[in-house]
Amino acid sequence: MNAQVEDPHQNVKLLQRCINDLVSLLALPAVWSGNEPSQVLQILLDALLRMLNLDFACARLTDPVDGGLLEILRVSDSCKLRITPQDISRTLNRWFGVGGQKPLPAIRHRFGNEDISIVPVPLGVHGESGMIAVGCGRLDFPGQTDSLLLTVAANQASIGVQEARLLAEQKGIAHELDRRVGERTAELAAANEELRKEIVERKLAEERLRHEETELKRSEAHKAAILDSSPDCVVAIDHAGRITEFNPAAEQTFGHRRSSVLGRPLVDVIIPPSLREKHRAGFARYLATGDSRVLGQRLEMTALCSDGREIPVEIAITRIPQDGPPAFTGHLRDITERKRSEDALHVAHAQVARSEERWRSVFENSAVGVALTDLNGRFIATNLVYQRMLGYSGEELQQLTSHDITHEENVEDNRALIGELLAGKCRQFQIEKQYRRNDGQPVWVRNNVSIVPGTDRVPRFLMAISEDITQRKLSEAALAKARSELANVARITSLGVLTAAIAHEVNQPLSGIITNASTCLRMLSADPPNVDGALETVRRTIRDGDRASDVITRLRTLYSKKELSPEWMDLNEAAREVTALCLSELQRGGVLLRYQLTDDLPPLVADRIQLQQVILNLLRNAADAMSTIDDRSRELLIRTQPDGVNQVQLSVKDSGVGLTSQAAENIFEAFYTTKTDGMGIGLAISRSIIEAHQGRLWATPNDGPGCTFSFVIPCKPQGSADAA
Amino acid sequence: MDVPHGMPHCFVMESPNGRDRNERPLLSVVDDDESVRESLPDLLRELGFAARVFSSAEEFLSSDCVDETRCLILDIAMPGMSGLELYQELKRRGQEIPVVFITGQRDESLRARVVKQGAAGFLLKPFSDVDLLAAIKRALQGT
Repeated sequence: MNAQVEDPHQNVKLLQRCINDLVSLLALPAVWSGNEPSQVLQILLDALLRMLNLDFACARLTDPVDGGLLEILRVSDSCKLRITPQDISRTLNRWFGVGGQKPLPAIRHRFGNEDISIVPVPLGVHGESGMIAVGCGRLDFPGQTDSLLLTVAANQASIGVQEARLLAEQKGIAHELDRRVGERTAELAAANEELRKEIVERKLAEERLRHEETELKRSEAHKAAILDSSPDCVVAIDHAGRITEFNPAAEQTFGHRRSSVLGRPLVDVIIPPSLREKHRAGFARYLATGDSRVLGQRLEMTALCSDGREIPVEIAITRIPQDGPPAFTGHLRDITERKRSEDALHVAHAQVARSEERWRSVFENSAVGVALTDLNGRFIATNLVYQRMLGYSGEELQQLTSHDITHEENVEDNRALIGELLAGKCRQFQIEKQYRRNDGQPVWVRNNVSIVPGTDRVPRFLMAISEDITQRKLSEAALAKARSELANVARITSLGVLTAAIAHEVNQPLSGIITNASTCLRMLSADPPNVDGALETVRRTIRDGDRASDVITRLRTLYSKKELSPEWMDLNEAAREVTALCLSELQRGGVLLRYQLTDDLPPLVADRIQLQQVILNLLRNAADAMSTIDDRSRELLIRTQPDGVNQVQLSVKDSGVGLTSQAAENIFEAFYTTKTDGMGIGLAISRSIIEAHQGRLWATPNDGPGCTFSFVIPCKPQGSADAA
Repeated sequence: MDVPHGMPHCFVMESPNGRDRNERPLLSVVDDDESVRESLPDLLRELGFAARVFSSAEEFLSSDCVDETRCLILDIAMPGMSGLELYQELKRRGQEIPVVFITGQRDESLRARVVKQGAAGFLLKPFSDVDLLAAIKRALQGT
């Protein structure tokens, strides 16, 4: 460099080249974005090799997870002919190892018969990510511009590698969580299916019972109807057995016209052929001896109808008290229906017996637990499922009351509900509670308890249908855990977005620096040189440098801070920074952004980065809510204002699809989302951040379209020390 | 540079009718970023142009420079009206000022879109003076 000072034009050219190289280096992230860390480094090393005219460039990277070493070595074409990669690797090992926490000096090493300067540059803020080492045979290496370019390149590399790793990590975690959530969902779905089946079975059993009861009732009614309405047939005969009377009921019953049967032998008309002989014999015997087995009796026999049907009849025969040859009257009643009804009754009784058996079977074989207790909760009977669920035998349970095995926490609630049941305030109740098993383990159950009315002989009692929901409760707990892991992913994701956006922010002051430097060179190389103008450009350069360094400081904070801590901050400034970060995203979504920031807002003690995450989240949400709006402008208003003396409020108002008041509560729950592509996790996290600041986050529908999300936080949380 | 120093900041102010054949072409810079607004005008003057700066699209539209501007150097992401919206608005008004877009956003699809809409140039911040001059020259020749 010293030799070149004498030739200002040469110097200007070199500086110009340096600026161009800087621009190229800064443009590299566009080339490698989305690549693996190794590809990022390859691209960078190749660029360095070309720009600095190096012999070789090597990156050594420690994997933050397994501590493995990744070495990427790029060697220039001319160097390949003279030095082997193994030689270079060995040399680097000997001098530098894998780099380290303390800065390492440049060295000059002899390869064969030539000397090469090797310059190590740490990667990461303290070299924690590894190092880059470059070798060059030039005597003036490394000059000032070389060093500058190397430093910038190392910064670019560490940001690039960090981003690439973050991306890979996000992908990994998201994939793993997807899998786990999928598993849990499947388990829950299986449990649900099981439950659904049980419910269907229970319903079927209940329906069968109801059906049987109504059948029984119907047959009884039937029977009553027959008994009430059955008309008597009256048939009279003379001593020769000829019909002398045949009433309308008989006409209807037997299907004969009175006129066509009068005078005919009874035996031919209504006695079935198979019984005719018996009848004739009995009749003759009576006439001869006066001995009758039928007179004065209610008999059942079979009668014949005109159409050949044989019907059962009840018959009472009396001798008509008259002089002369004997005559008889028969009162007949068609008992077809009664017979049928009696048969039905018989069947029904059998059915009732069977249904009781079935009830017993339902009780004993039910997939859910069933317990009958007296009004004090003492067990009367329990089924096998119930006994197994609790690890007691039926006999053991009969020595206990349901309160004995209920978890202390639930005893009071349970008693109160039973009290209401007994007082007739409700017909049944449901409770989810914990039992303690015989072995001391807790069991979660959902109990459906109802009161069974008593009879003359049996006092009323309680019936509990008890379903083991322990598995479901465990699944719910597992799901809650998965949710919190997902929340972590969301944090990492938004951190990644924020980081990329801040890195992008660095480009603004860098742009100023490059422009100022170019202008400066031009002013100084003019004839005569414009020294005043050049001085001004240098001042501006320094200002831009400070701005860039501010951004870098923030970036570093983001990466290194594990425990986030409160500090004095200006909410307006924080809001402006975040909106600047997502401005282009908003504009791509056609969103018109307006500010209404109150100037004299009091400063507050809060975690700046966390609050910025919340604001970013609200802005994104608002933009998403407006993405489908085409019939009005997509307006987003961000407003800050003091709330009382000690609180500040920030609200984000959109003109999007809006909210129902129901949704206004639900949206803060994890997994609640109205978006098809969202995880619905952001707002839950935002609310927890604001609540951690002792504040409140809520949503209200606008008077017009859209809704407003607001949070209010105290300027200084209680119990906090001054951060300033 | 063959242009003498000490040129007025806005040459147009002195020659509003634009009849002077030696007049420096007026370039307007619209960018919400202070660093750019501070640094770019001096460089443009060094490169032989007159320059005015505006911190927003609205400010530019309400200024008296719209008609005189020969080339617009326009940031894309700004609060309020964005660079692309300003570009559309100018087209709508029938004022076809050639535009060189500058942006800090590394988005190749954005470049393609902007160029397709007829932009004269698209530069990623930070850019070199050589690239800037080339883009401006293309823009001015196109008119």
